[in-house]
Amino acid sequence: MQIPGRKVAVVGMGGAFPTCTGLPDFSKKLFANQSLIREWDKALAYGKNIRSSVSGFITEEEMGLEAIYSPLAENNYPETYIDKLNRIPDGNLATADIGCIWAMLGTQEAIKMAGWDSKEVQSEQTGVVIGSGGAGNVILRIAWHNFYELGKKTRLAGSHTVDRTMVYREAANVSCLIKNRGVCEAIGSACATGLGNIGYAYRLIKFGLQDRIIAGGVEGTSLETFIGFDGMQVLSRGFSPEESSRPFDVNRNGFVCSFGSGIVALEEYELAKARGANIIAVIDEYFNNSDGDGDMFYPSFAGQKRLWKGILDSSGKKPDVVKVHGTSTPAGDSIELLSVVDVLGESGYHITAPKSQFGHMLGAAGSVEFITALLMLQEQKVLPCLNSEKLNPELEPFQKADNWTGPEKPLEAYRDLIPKESFAKEINTVTCLNYGFGGTNSAISVSRDI
Amino acid sequence: MERQEIIDGLVEILKTVRTINQEKLVGVTEDTDFIKDLNTPSTEMINIVAKTEQKFDVEFDDDDIDGLGSKVKDVVDLIIKTKEKEQ
Repeated sequence: MQIPGRKVAVVGMGGAFPTCTGLPDFSKKLFANQSLIREWDKALAYGKNIRSSVSGFITEEEMGLEAIYSPLAENNYPETYIDKLNRIPDGNLATADIGCIWAMLGTQEAIKMAGWDSKEVQSEQTGVVIGSGGAGNVILRIAWHNFYELGKKTRLAGSHTVDRTMVYREAANVSCLIKNRGVCEAIGSACATGLGNIGYAYRLIKFGLQDRIIAGGVEGTSLETFIGFDGMQVLSRGFSPEESSRPFDVNRNGFVCSFGSGIVALEEYELAKARGANIIAVIDEYFNNSDGDGDMFYPSFAGQKRLWKGILDSSGKKPDVVKVHGTSTPAGDSIELLSVVDVLGESGYHITAPKSQFGHMLGAAGSVEFITALLMLQEQKVLPCLNSEKLNPELEPFQKADNWTGPEKPLEAYRDLIPKESFAKEINTVTCLNYGFGGTNSAISVSRDI
Repeated sequence: MERQEIIDGLVEILKTVRTINQEKLVGVTEDTDFIKDLNTPSTEMINIVAKTEQKFDVEFDDDDIDGLGSKVKDVVDLIIKTKEKEQ
């Protein structure tokens, strides 16, 4: 159970962001209303066999990394990676896929920002809770191809197929790097994974089980992951790269599949305060639930309303900004906007959709977008919803159904809640929302430490 | 194939294993122990074995790999034994 009075501070952050040299560059580009989405040569190479070709992807070179391909297996099997900037030891790189390396780099940044010393990092009271949405698909595909299609021995794929592809590989690799002695786990909840891990980490501290946690979500660049969604016909197409992700716009036709990593350092508030740490924000509450309607994919208005009740009842704080999931899919955005309006009303807050700037980072979405919330609290500026040019002036089909109980105005009526460009205002509290396949819903409320 | 020629080839393989301290590869002999002397992570041994098969164009039996010692001499012996068997 929660320990009354025990609070959780965010004291560090780091990550991997498309087209960005680091967190400062990421922040600068976001508040300058830039898109981080590009045409992806790897997708274009497959011509008509792939529908979408835009992504917020990150190359190895952009992260200062270089793949060493195995001389044994065919099809460019990455035996290991070289860190050209000497940040991660070779022994740790040997057990990591690309997402694990991003997680380790983000962890180093977050710990540096937090100012934790080695005694604090290696404590039994320090945990690691990091997850990802997909498997280690890049490694698995080539390893399996060499065995099944090319008839090669299992040993030709080397001895690191398991540690570089297992479900909690990012947490395991980070834990082996920093040598913490507390928990090491991963939460998986599809596109809510990033926020789910931070939420779980928050609870571990709030419940008194840990004092410090490195938490977040990762999705390493992988065309293998991309094609799964491409095959579902849910990815955006037909727009220029920077116009492809357009949450709430009437012409949206799918999300932009992207990749990245968001890692944060959480610490029990009084401990952080006592050592004079820079407290970036304080987590008010985390709440999560399920739709309960048996639908794997379609969002639930009732489920999201229950989510809002949970987060508002427990945090007691109405947000100045709602950081929505806002994927740019036709069904998702309309349900989400109407559930926000139904709960919070038609004014007094703003809605931001960071996916409009960098796409949908899947298992990293919740954590990278949580970092955007921290940046908004720091900068006192609302991030935009790019490309939300025109909202539907007509009612959504589901709003005309007899059993509809939500707002009865078309989305266009709520235009003023959704800025097309970044702007300054006083922001004390941000609520972050993320949802995932399976009907899972997550919300976190985070505030300035004032 | 001479034993020293095989040792030289093994050193070439070890140079591609980034988790081995490359400075320790000077003066490798038949008595050098991959794990004790070169601090090779045990998980890398199978990677070295697979690269050895490719470099020397041999295919080891699984039983021989299971019973393989950790000294350079053990790998040299296995290459020679396997090559003789294949002839």
